[in-house]
Amino acid sequence: MSAADVSVLQRPNDKLVRRRAFNRGMEVLAWVAAALAVALLGVLVWSVAKRGASELNLDLITKSPAANEFSLNPTSGGLANAFVGTFIIVGIATAMALPFGILVAIYVNEFAPRAVKNFLSPSLDILNGIPAIVIGIFVFGLLVVGHGQSGLAGAFALAILMLPLVARATIEVLALVPNSLREASLGLGVPRWRTTLGIVLPQTIGGILTGTVLAVARVAGETAPLLFTSSIVGTSTSWNPTQALQSIPVAIFELSESATPADHARAWAAALVLLLFILFTSLIARWLANRSRRKIARAG
Amino acid sequence: MSTLDATRETARRPLVGRRVHLGDVILQVAAGGAALGTVVLLGLLVYKVVQGARLSISTFGLGFVTHVGWDPLHNAMGAGNLLFGTAVTALGALLLATPLAMGIALFLTELAPRAIRGPVTALVETLAAIPSVVIGLWGIIVLGPVLRDHVEPALHSTFGFIPLFGTPSSTGTGIFTAIVVLTIMILPIISSISRELFLGVPGELKEGALGLGTTRWEMVRGVMFPYARGGIAAAMILGLGRAVGEAIAVAQVVGAFDGGVSWNLFNNGDTLAGKIALEFQSSGTNLETASLFYVALILLVFSLAVNVLAQVIVRRVDRAQGRTV
Amino acid sequence: MPRNGKLLRITLLLAAAAVLGAFAVASAGAAGKRSAGTLKGAGSSLVAPAVAQWGTMYTADQIQYSALGSGAGITAISNRTVDFGASDAPLTKSQGSDCHGCAQIPWALTATIPVYNIPGVSDHQLKLTGTVLANIYLGNITNWSDPAIKKINSGLNLPDKKITVVHRSDGSGDTYVFTDYLSKVNHTWKTKVGAATTVSWPAGVGGNKNAGVAALVQSTPGSIGYVSDFYAIQNHITKARLKNAAGSYVLPKIASIEAAAQLVKGTKIPANNKISLTNPPKSKKYKNAWPMSTFTYVIIPTQTQKAAELKAFVKFALSANAQNAIKKLIFAPMPSVVLKAANKTLATIHS
Repeated sequence: MSAADVSVLQRPNDKLVRRRAFNRGMEVLAWVAAALAVALLGVLVWSVAKRGASELNLDLITKSPAANEFSLNPTSGGLANAFVGTFIIVGIATAMALPFGILVAIYVNEFAPRAVKNFLSPSLDILNGIPAIVIGIFVFGLLVVGHGQSGLAGAFALAILMLPLVARATIEVLALVPNSLREASLGLGVPRWRTTLGIVLPQTIGGILTGTVLAVARVAGETAPLLFTSSIVGTSTSWNPTQALQSIPVAIFELSESATPADHARAWAAALVLLLFILFTSLIARWLANRSRRKIARAG
Repeated sequence: MSTLDATRETARRPLVGRRVHLGDVILQVAAGGAALGTVVLLGLLVYKVVQGARLSISTFGLGFVTHVGWDPLHNAMGAGNLLFGTAVTALGALLLATPLAMGIALFLTELAPRAIRGPVTALVETLAAIPSVVIGLWGIIVLGPVLRDHVEPALHSTFGFIPLFGTPSSTGTGIFTAIVVLTIMILPIISSISRELFLGVPGELKEGALGLGTTRWEMVRGVMFPYARGGIAAAMILGLGRAVGEAIAVAQVVGAFDGGVSWNLFNNGDTLAGKIALEFQSSGTNLETASLFYVALILLVFSLAVNVLAQVIVRRVDRAQGRTV
Repeated sequence: MPRNGKLLRITLLLAAAAVLGAFAVASAGAAGKRSAGTLKGAGSSLVAPAVAQWGTMYTADQIQYSALGSGAGITAISNRTVDFGASDAPLTKSQGSDCHGCAQIPWALTATIPVYNIPGVSDHQLKLTGTVLANIYLGNITNWSDPAIKKINSGLNLPDKKITVVHRSDGSGDTYVFTDYLSKVNHTWKTKVGAATTVSWPAGVGGNKNAGVAALVQSTPGSIGYVSDFYAIQNHITKARLKNAAGSYVLPKIASIEAAAQLVKGTKIPANNKISLTNPPKSKKYKNAWPMSTFTYVIIPTQTQKAAELKAFVKFALSANAQNAIKKLIFAPMPSVVLKAANKTLATIHS
């Protein structure tokens, strides 16, 4: 090749300049998009933190709403009934969803023939995709009509939301357990049920825990399923799940539409507590996931 | 007993007709029962919604889907404007969120310095964890006034010739506010799935393209996008499904107007899910309740369709990847 | 090597959790039974201040009331998810049959009022007539500087500002009173929209409950809405004067509500206690009558397990003591003929 040809290769032509400029433009856009997302999140979290922190005090969690909210000079109260209610409803929902989710996962991964598995797995995904409001009116029609609202009905609605999440997480970690483990156990004469519960399941506890914690974080903030199942509440704080219990998301929803700044302030404070709880549980879930990932890497 | 005795004992056991352990039966029944219960639950849900809607279906038939207006006093109700509102808000949110999500995903996989990759990923996933009622609260109190006082007038004065940007809202509520709120909600879904997809693109393909002299953007456009195309489509559809099903945040900001449909994004409107959230508890007549169940049925059909479509795409992509990789 | 301890623990945990979960699900169906000593009610936000006041005075049971709106109250009692419902709107015929044997008993008397937010116009300054109000809500009058509004507000400096119409998005007794009034003063409204707890609004934005309407009005300059009278006072929302049939521009004070209630004197209260007090006719008796006054009802199933407790509570609410106590919340004393009819209906409640 002559020297002239090489220099042609080395000289940047117009087209290359244009392509490089376009590339630079796209990179800038990507940076802008990321900055926008971070800014958006920042604005959201900052709004909640700033407005919520000013109203956040122990009274919010320990005192019930004021009984005289309809008098001429209403005093401000707390949201104790909402915090207690969410704690109980989410707790019961977890108690309902966890065993069912694990059992479904065990069936799908350990017992189901291929055809059934190909039917069940999409069914779980479909259940996961049903809007929460539809689940709310379903549980209303099933459990509330004729009987009355209750924390249990609300918990059942939340459990339906949690079930696919717990089941899917359990299925994934069950699939990670090597088959050699199962075969070795069965080969030694250990019955199927003992193999599943005593050998395979203990390996997956980390993953199940992670999935459950994530599911709890998800449903703690759900409003729609509770709107028709556990929303007609008074101002007193109740621990009785056979009655309708107030919950944090429903309280925020009601307060958000109010005209008074005092109500807004309480809504922000409750939102802050809810957000902190969800962030905290998400962090725990992530830590658990990392821990079990390291354990499997070590064992494998 | 000694190992020899134990082996003899095992050998003496009949090979055929293994003992059926009670535990096995119990576990299989319990697990199978739970699985069956899940399917029954799904079926029961569909059944209850259809049953609840029966009165309205028999009264209005399919005309319900296109009829605009909600007049329970004169027994004339329809989901026409609700479908319009749902379509506009969900598609609008998808239109805004997808490029943003792509940008974020590309940034995190290709451009970000290693140090900030982790924190920014965590930040975007935190956005996904914010409950919809909190975003709605923010939408009413913070976003609404900003849109009403600054953004909408600016858009109207610049782009007012397009019917989409007509007279700005006077209250800060409306279709446009709902679009912004929904965009924030579906952004993390699309971006996190896209990010996983981009991370999965084989390094050899990327390096091959770069080695041939393409710029980074050309590599993304020519290698990563085609490779991840199916998954991105599925992510967009999942985001769409989420936007369609969102009831609470939309109910808080959309304005609850059922008198008609308009192309002005700044007008108030209503959506399928939002209507149920606002009206169901106070529905006065059996026909109105049945009509709200009918709305829920339409919503259910749509979300099922979205779900199935996303699964089909994912399955097709999996098969395709299996062949090429 | 399976460790028996861990296996046993897991199996027991799983079994216990499953049993607990199943038990919880099963009892969810049977749940909702109110505990002894509590009366649960839901409905009208208009009457909520009165019920709250009575709740502090009544000792026999604890009263738990949710102000979800009249529509929700009717639905809740029809589904028997509460012990009593409260509505400002009397049951329609189909609602009556859907409720499967409910009785409605008037237990308080108050009013709904139009409110507004016009820059430069302070409380009680704006004057409205039924026709102007109807045209605003029909979407015919769209600006505060419209000559029709200027004509009746000659002394006022009305700005050139678009009118934002605000109404209720949920089923509301205030909506019923408001649309009942508009139906009587404007024929177009009557034929085009009608009167009910939920109507097809020709224009405007919907707010959820009184709070939602108040929030929208107070944050939107140039808006107009309607809320219960006490709610407007409690939240310092600017109120409008309304012209009654006799020609005076009045405000809903106890006296003007009482004047409107004169409508029932000398008439026979129908068996279902359905009374409308809106737009009293032109007559000296109603010179100061407030045109948007209303009775508000408690709705109880005629046959109910909690008949004794409910009867005791409503009887207390109808007593002079209770009625006097809510006067300060702008609830006017009910005419004796209505009290008599109320007690008569109450006597029919049985278990």
